[in-house]
Amino acid sequence: MNLFGMLEVSGSALAAERWRAEVVSANMANAETTRTPQGGAYRRQLVVFRARPLPRFPMMLASLHHPQLEGVRVDRIVGDATPLPTRYQPGHPDADASGYVTYPNVNPVMEMTDLLSAVRAYQLNASAVQAAKTMIQQSLQILS
Amino acid sequence: MSSAISSLRILPADTGVSSLQPATDSSQPGFRDILHSAIDDIQQLEGQAETKVAGVIDGNGADVHSAMIAVEKADLSFQLMMQVRNKIVSAYQEISRMQF
Repeated sequence: MNLFGMLEVSGSALAAERWRAEVVSANMANAETTRTPQGGAYRRQLVVFRARPLPRFPMMLASLHHPQLEGVRVDRIVGDATPLPTRYQPGHPDADASGYVTYPNVNPVMEMTDLLSAVRAYQLNASAVQAAKTMIQQSLQILS
Repeated sequence: MSSAISSLRILPADTGVSSLQPATDSSQPGFRDILHSAIDDIQQLEGQAETKVAGVIDGNGADVHSAMIAVEKADLSFQLMMQVRNKIVSAYQEISRMQF
């Protein structure tokens, strides 16, 4: 078991959660976007997490490696497949022939709860980093 | 008389001075080399921490948490090295205070 294995795992989780919060903020920012480079309205983005085996460091502090230890990474970002809502706005430049404008499938309440969940998960992993640090410091106290 | 003393055998008769040579003569890495490589590792970790913190400050897209974790790793490795060093120095002082 690597001395810093816990820190690596929690660090990868912190990075993944920060990325999730970024994607949620992008969804919130584009809640009313009707024009995208791909054409059409913005589609809500979702992150997909994947377990990732940790890279091993050839170091004096990492003589033994635990093979089952896995961090997390963002596998990919996919578009939400739910249908896009339409609103009747005949004067809008992006309105279709019958006067309907397609809007993003972003629900502000869902995005807010997703953001809160990402923030709490970040806090959780930050606490794990603190715990790992305290454990290492405790083990250093043995020698003094 | 001499046979009586030799039969006591307080010390092994074949204790040679040659066995007290420094370990650096052998091909195996001595404690000095281990300590050297440990210090090199710590230096490497401190270099990583420095790069990460610089990346955060000049906005190269480095994560704040990874910089903090890198600094923490360097600090903990340094603390470990210092504890080992304190132990070695205290052992040396213990030996130097030895009275014959």
